[in-house]
Amino acid sequence: MPERPEREIRRGRKGRKKVCSFCVDRAEFIDYKDVAKLRRFISERGKILPRRVTGTCARHQRALTVAIKRARHLALLPYTSD
Amino acid sequence: MAEGKNLYETVIVTSAKLGEEGSAALVERFKALIAENGTVQSVDDWGKRRFAYPINKQTEGYYTLINFESEPDFTAELDRRYQIADGIMRTLIVKRDPRHIVERKPKPEKTEEADIDVEAIAVEAVETAAE
Repeated sequence: MPERPEREIRRGRKGRKKVCSFCVDRAEFIDYKDVAKLRRFISERGKILPRRVTGTCARHQRALTVAIKRARHLALLPYTSD
Repeated sequence: MAEGKNLYETVIVTSAKLGEEGSAALVERFKALIAENGTVQSVDDWGKRRFAYPINKQTEGYYTLINFESEPDFTAELDRRYQIADGIMRTLIVKRDPRHIVERKPKPEKTEEADIDVEAIAVEAVETAAE
């Protein structure tokens, strides 16, 4: 039952409510060394994806940006592509 | 004194021009420096990696991660030495939160248990589906 009203509100827009993947994993911290994971949160051009795209919660988004920037410094991730 | 110490991790990226031995020798020098001013807990050699972007027109480097414990003052000195040394492309010194490390260590055991559970659940699921 509670699903239906929400769907009506969201009509016109695609997709369902996104859940922060770090909260799902109960991540206490985000490791800058985990390049494979961080790559999922940057665009093809190397930009950090916004929360509205990835569904990351505010707290983890803040930790994520720090991790990505550390990885960029060490040339594990690009600042920009092409 | 032990309370005044903190846990840190540092990544050293050395130039691929040094070769494997040259970079190992350079890292060894910093390991000795850290050992003098604190205790080296673990060293993780990532080997040669491609850079995500060229640094000083080079495309590869050797990565080494060192976990250590030391006085907070030492990090500034370590960073200063990093700047002076030749052949170092990039470095990072990060303080580690002891709360995270405590959680990180028992993890391998937990994942083993989890693996068994997942299999058991999968078998159950197959059985129920068969019914």
